[in-house]
Amino acid sequence: MIFTEKAVFRQVPLLELDGMALFELSKEMKLSLSEEDMLAVQTYYRESGREPTDVELEVIAQTWSEHCKHRIFSAEISHQTAAGEEVVDGLFKTYIKLPSEEIFACKPGFVLSAFHDNAGFIKLDEERAICLKVETHNHPSALEPYAGANTGIGGVVRDILGAGLGAKPVANIDVFCFGAPDTPQAVIRGEDVIHPLGIMRGVVRGVRDYGNRMGIPTTGGAIQFDPAYIYNPLVYCGTAGVIHIKDITKEMSSGLKIIALGGRTGRDGLKGATFSSAALDTDSHEEDQTAVQIGNPIEEKKVADCILAARDESLITFLTDCGAGGFSSAAGEMLSDVGGEIFLERCPLKEPGLESWQVFISESQERMVLAVEPERVARIKELAGIYGTEATVIGQSDGSGILRVWHHGELVCELDNNRLHNPPRQLRKSRWMPPAPESNHAWNDENLGASLEEVLGDFNICSRAPVIREYDHEVQGNTLLKPLAGACGDAPQDASVIGIDGSDKSMSIALSLLPEWGKYNPYRMGKACVDECIRQLVLTGGDPDQAAILDNFCVGNPDDPEELGALVEACKGIAEAALAYGAPFVSGKDSFYNYFETEDGAVSIPTTCLISGIAVVHDRARVTGASLRRSDSVLCLLGEGSGLMGGSIYARRHGITTAEVPDIDCAGALDRYRLLARAIKGGQVLSAHDLGEGGLGVAVAEMGFSLQGGMEIDIDQVDAPASATAAQRLFEETGGRILLEVASDQVEALRSHFSTHSCKIIGHSSSAHENLVITDATGTRLVEAKLSSLKEIWKNGLKAYY
Amino acid sequence: MARQPHAILLKFPGTNCDAETARALEAVGFTSEILPTSQLGPDSLENADLLMLSGGFSYGDYVMAGRLAQLRVEERLSASLHGFVAEGGFVLGVCNGFQILTKLGLLPAGSLIENTSGRFICRWTRLQVKNRDAAPLTYLPDTFELPIAHAEGRFVAAEGMAEEYFKDGLVTLTYIDDVNGSDHQIAGLQNLEGNVFGLMPHPERFLYRQHHYDPDWKAPANDHWGWGYHFFRGIYDHVTGAKVFESCTTTEPSSSG
Repeated sequence: MIFTEKAVFRQVPLLELDGMALFELSKEMKLSLSEEDMLAVQTYYRESGREPTDVELEVIAQTWSEHCKHRIFSAEISHQTAAGEEVVDGLFKTYIKLPSEEIFACKPGFVLSAFHDNAGFIKLDEERAICLKVETHNHPSALEPYAGANTGIGGVVRDILGAGLGAKPVANIDVFCFGAPDTPQAVIRGEDVIHPLGIMRGVVRGVRDYGNRMGIPTTGGAIQFDPAYIYNPLVYCGTAGVIHIKDITKEMSSGLKIIALGGRTGRDGLKGATFSSAALDTDSHEEDQTAVQIGNPIEEKKVADCILAARDESLITFLTDCGAGGFSSAAGEMLSDVGGEIFLERCPLKEPGLESWQVFISESQERMVLAVEPERVARIKELAGIYGTEATVIGQSDGSGILRVWHHGELVCELDNNRLHNPPRQLRKSRWMPPAPESNHAWNDENLGASLEEVLGDFNICSRAPVIREYDHEVQGNTLLKPLAGACGDAPQDASVIGIDGSDKSMSIALSLLPEWGKYNPYRMGKACVDECIRQLVLTGGDPDQAAILDNFCVGNPDDPEELGALVEACKGIAEAALAYGAPFVSGKDSFYNYFETEDGAVSIPTTCLISGIAVVHDRARVTGASLRRSDSVLCLLGEGSGLMGGSIYARRHGITTAEVPDIDCAGALDRYRLLARAIKGGQVLSAHDLGEGGLGVAVAEMGFSLQGGMEIDIDQVDAPASATAAQRLFEETGGRILLEVASDQVEALRSHFSTHSCKIIGHSSSAHENLVITDATGTRLVEAKLSSLKEIWKNGLKAYY
Repeated sequence: MARQPHAILLKFPGTNCDAETARALEAVGFTSEILPTSQLGPDSLENADLLMLSGGFSYGDYVMAGRLAQLRVEERLSASLHGFVAEGGFVLGVCNGFQILTKLGLLPAGSLIENTSGRFICRWTRLQVKNRDAAPLTYLPDTFELPIAHAEGRFVAAEGMAEEYFKDGLVTLTYIDDVNGSDHQIAGLQNLEGNVFGLMPHPERFLYRQHHYDPDWKAPANDHWGWGYHFFRGIYDHVTGAKVFESCTTTEPSSSG
């Protein structure tokens, strides 16, 4: 086995440097610390009366990085809008934490843990809790798509394994934003930038090979295509987990042994946290390769088996994953308050010759860190042997309050957390003053049939089947609502539902992102994402009052007040909606500097907000799909349209960027979703599909892809402003709306159930034909197409590219 | 009442369908034990009535699927495994387990190679029963559905051999649609004695009716079980020597409980 042979570290003199020189030092060492940060570091060492070691500086850089500390989400922001200037006392505190705590207080006992652990937990039943965590792995995936996505999954799975005393990962979700697969090469203005198709293939394979090998079903996801993602693809990886409620709480104490479990430590993945906290440029493709690693899912599977076995034997006192910052952040989390010692010479290595700081901050994959009572070490090692992995005692907690790192007898790092504190708070400026939307668009469409076909074949709408089929979405044998289902097994669904072993309850998992909306109205985007996520959770069988959500933001350049302004607006939107729905945030993550210096200037991504969520499903017999089941049923549309087309696929296809983005009345929508949950519980709903991207046109066609009958709708029965054209009625994407399939003998009961809401009979299914027929009130046939032909268009959209 | 039959489920590093397979075996009446292969010894099969090789990616399948697991089994279990089979113990391999059994030479000679599409495929498939006498198929109709999830499920055999396997009743199941390029669309095989059975589809993933993708799928007995339950029930009967009072040779529901 390989270990280091000697300590390699140095003093870094900085006590006498001025601000400029400190900042130069930060750049030279690639610490990604600002001048202000470096001055704070200097103050700490002046008080300590000594110079820092390189190990200490690397540790501080990792722990203070944007990636680890979310400094922009903690910053004080003076935000300017048309209404004037306001001061935001931290985005996280104002828009995530405070509204969530307000909700926790209204729902005692529902949220069992939030914000402080690897993932937040909500109560599933009397014994069990469920959780979800979503991370991004954008920069690594831009440089090395396969390995970047691979380790993205590996990392978020370890988050779940390290949540509480070890949650069991039961499902993965993966959301990507790419440039279009048919992007002409000439459009790409940067050396070594990988073509979007190469990114997509690499990322999908990376997800496939990690998730499938670990035996975690990939049950949900989304792909957004937009040229703004050519240089900065986004890769969100999420994992849901289950734990016994008694295993949620963990607390460090002194006298525990610190154990490294899993893979060995190498030079791979050095400085990932600081790397991901800076923008990409052409040099990144050459220089930052060491920050990207290759995953080993079988190692992680062995680690997972070992941890879950150790948890079940109550061997673990504290547990965390080795993610960004490696041992330094894991040890920091465990020992920064209680204090303790780590001995780097004990860490098993992949290769010889590592310097002290490299051992301590390497982000080598598939490692977890445990704290256990000394008498339990032997059994942990035995379990590691049984499952074919490695457990090594690398230190202990000691109650000193100080983290000391030793290397072959030399003290290479000594940090007193009581004095080091948090990094200085940033002060930032943001601004959001968009041009007023225009209302002079005609929205006349002479050929709605052709438009519907175009929209169904749009990259943002068409079937993800080629990707979904590469993911094992059935392993563990608990996938009750699959990503593709319905009578033919290939129609899209709105969320996935996972059965939970040993419980009669299940978990619904949904997600929403609408980056196109955010370009014009990030506030309404935020609200709409929360709405869509909650709606999908409920219509698949989830309880609207037992749902929790996550926010994952990806932003371009936060130093640009406009881009930061869009983020502030989006945060306002999600906060307002979360409060209105009573759906607390239990976890979240953000990624900044998703911009790229091309030959023609900087290209930023649009402010992208992924809202994902989980909800308790009480009755697995009432899990509801989105696919037509009968040829004699009635189609009802729940909720009102606004006629507003901003952000819609239809507007986008017509190059319209000035239309108003729809708003949503969240309180009204929640009431509707509660009623819907009751109707589903009462068995009154055959199937339910949300109106999302592509609007009613796409929703009704997708519902019909189970090919169980023809469908006829009258577009003038759709609840929308009288002035709305047929195109608006068919393609607007206003939230809060659901298409329901109802047995004809249930319709009257259902309509009176929804008496306080818009619940219009817009059509019916038919055994007389196999077409989708859309008429207006005069009986004119606006669309008449075979559902199987529409399905082919939808199914084949990505086939040529993937 | 006789003791419950006991199933040993081998767990290689990377085996990942063991828990749900154990659940299915217990549902039909087995007791089960998941045995990490680091603990495997010559006595491991002493109390076993069924040796189960579940799905997953043993050792990552970075070499040909199942190859390293084969070597591991030969090293740790070789003689006792052959003794177990010779004495009539039942061996079932699903997906990766099928690949391993093929590599071990316990099933008709051939290989499970990369799907013709070159891709991993996760979907449901329709299957055709080719040998009515195969124990796991006792309660299954002539055609039924199970999900598949594999990258290397294409069964190929030396020229002319597949036809021989059909003649000898070794081919137990075929795919009705060509999903992966298998010779004659072979999906499942057994040995001549009928006590070693391998298949690529996953019966443990269709234990309950609600596992089916179609909410309107009707369980044969109008209960909450899926075809996977009936598959394992057939094995249960075989290893317990239970007399089969009824078998299901049509797509009509059987009255089972």
